Amino acid sequence: METRQQGLTLFSAVLVLIALLVVIQLWLLAAALDALLAREIGVLAPTAVASVVLFAMSGGLLSYVVAFDARLRLWGRRE
Amino acid sequence: MDGVDDPGAPRGNAVPRWREDFPVRWDDDNYMTRRELAKFLTLGSGLLASASLLVAFIGLTRQPPAAPVRRIAGVGGLAPGESLEFRYPTDDDPCIVVRDASGRFDAYSQVCTHLSCAVVHEPALRALACPCHKGLFATADGRPLAGPPTRRLPRIVLDRRGDDLFAIGIEV
Repeated sequence: METRQQGLTLFSAVLVLIALLVVIQLWLLAAALDALLAREIGVLAPTAVASVVLFAMSGGLLSYVVAFDARLRLWGRRE
Repeated sequence: MDGVDDPGAPRGNAVPRWREDFPVRWDDDNYMTRRELAKFLTLGSGLLASASLLVAFIGLTRQPPAAPVRRIAGVGGLAPGESLEFRYPTDDDPCIVVRDASGRFDAYSQVCTHLSCAVVHEPALRALACPCHKGLFATADGRPLAGPPTRRLPRIVLDRRGDDLFAIGIEV
């Protein structure tokens, strides 16, 4: 059975991971804009794909903690 | 403190007054704020992914504007070591043409690739200098030599027709 304390630790860890992914996405967007201004078109598609993959990872992490939260609430109601 | 009425003290089964202002326990508050922040960050992640897709879409679909042919100056009007400012491809795009000691003409956009200040010709350095942040570009090929710029200046393609010099395109 999951506890709130576990949830707090889990949310902290997931927060750090998602924040890290967002920073990488920011860096990718800055690189893409720089490439766009320099007309280096070949860089644009890989940066966009990488950014979408990172978003999918963030979404996956969030859905995991949301599911954890739902289980926690379910247990809370049963008690 | 006898005789002093504590406004926060519970009366019977009543909830203490401070509890009305702070209804959520410290641990629960941390839990909720972290959950909400995780959702907010994921939303930001989605926005950044959308922005990257938009940038890629713009870059892959946008066609460079057609380059007009525009007369810049007469060849004799520019002595070796001198420079001349002109506008190309529109009147809102400042450019500069430089004639080096050997008589060769090189033309570039005058807009610094760092923060868009106007570059000026420095004959002694054989460079185009940006006065805002001390950026320096080579007059021979427009590559950045010093300072914050990392991208070269867009080159204006020149065509010499008799005694006249024409701008016919842009190479980024």
